[in-house]
Amino acid sequence: MKNYTNAGLLFSIFFIVSCGNKTSEQQKSETIAVTDTVKTINHAHNYASNKYSAVDVSPMDMIYYPVEYYKMNVANQITTPLMIRIIYSRPHLNGRVLFKDVLKYDEPWRLGANEATEIQFFREVTIQNKKIKPGRYILYSIPNEKNWVIVLNSNIDTWGLRQDTSKDLFRFNATVTIVDHHTEYFTMIFDESKSGADLVMAWDNFEIRLPIDFSIN
Amino acid sequence: MKKIVLSISVLFFINSALTAQTEVTKLPALDKSPMDMSYYPDNYPVLKIKDKAADIPVIRLIYGRPQKAGRVVFGELVEYGVVWRLGANEATEIEFYQTVKFGGKKIPKGRYTLYAIVEQEKWTIILNKDTDIWGSFKYDIKKDIARMEVPVTKTTEITESLSMVFDKTFSGCNLIVAWDTLKVSVPFVF
Repeated sequence: MKNYTNAGLLFSIFFIVSCGNKTSEQQKSETIAVTDTVKTINHAHNYASNKYSAVDVSPMDMIYYPVEYYKMNVANQITTPLMIRIIYSRPHLNGRVLFKDVLKYDEPWRLGANEATEIQFFREVTIQNKKIKPGRYILYSIPNEKNWVIVLNSNIDTWGLRQDTSKDLFRFNATVTIVDHHTEYFTMIFDESKSGADLVMAWDNFEIRLPIDFSIN
Repeated sequence: MKKIVLSISVLFFINSALTAQTEVTKLPALDKSPMDMSYYPDNYPVLKIKDKAADIPVIRLIYGRPQKAGRVVFGELVEYGVVWRLGANEATEIEFYQTVKFGGKKIPKGRYTLYAIVEQEKWTIILNKDTDIWGSFKYDIKKDIARMEVPVTKTTEITESLSMVFDKTFSGCNLIVAWDTLKVSVPFVF
């Protein structure tokens, strides 16, 4: 297991470092190599190989507030207007320890995998006394032991590895709780609160909460 | 048939609403058909962090990727002549960042839903205004913006997971849709 992880890690480092100036031909062969590595790491992903577009190891997912809004829409039971949508990818631990093998304190993390994590507000909301206008933004984090900084940034449609801090709009503080259950895949949900909803982020045995206030509406 | 589908989906909704109520803290499982995203220009987010991209992309597509998993896809899993979500789970979303032409019509920038009606010789690709919706259960023809028919081609290899990718053309791009042993190209002009 550890060997696989190391191979994957080594390969991703190689991939990141070598992204600089490749021709499309070279990139194609890299993509194929990545797919092969994926196969070695996890046999469950043996369908990853694909001529058109490989299936991601960290699958993308989407959450809405109201929770499962798209199902309310289908059932003609929309009781609350559409407020927020998040699109993120879900890396998994695969035997690794979060703050040993994956993340580091005080180093920015894309709150997901692959593309930068996107948050779209359909109405104005308030987070820690800052008014956020409707629109698309990206989210990233700076984790620490007791507190994670959650950054709202305007550099949308981007890959998550390089943050453009000149486009940071707001930085919020979110508290960390150590919980007694283990979450294998990084997970985001909205948890309804009195004045809006908490964005809950869970991975390994950490749970991070960022309260979002809708009372302005 | 429509009524049955609707009542099943309503039941499903009530059921999931009840589950949500009793287990608020339960975290969602991974989707069987993972979601994915394609841009035109292809690979736009990676190009962007390498400073090799234009200010904004032209198109973004978000779709769920079902797998063949040994099944007969077209004619069985995806029935001929019935509106299909062109993916899995949530209906497939397409966003235009500028005006584009689809099926000879000018489409203003914005978010739309893509559906398809699959037949043996051709597919009808439908652009519809009802976004943020699950599947094609509530498909409403009145919300159609444009439709376009495209021919079907056979591929030599099997594509296990539904795949959608944009390819550059002289007048814009083609959205290539491939699954099982079939492929269609949907042209966008800009």
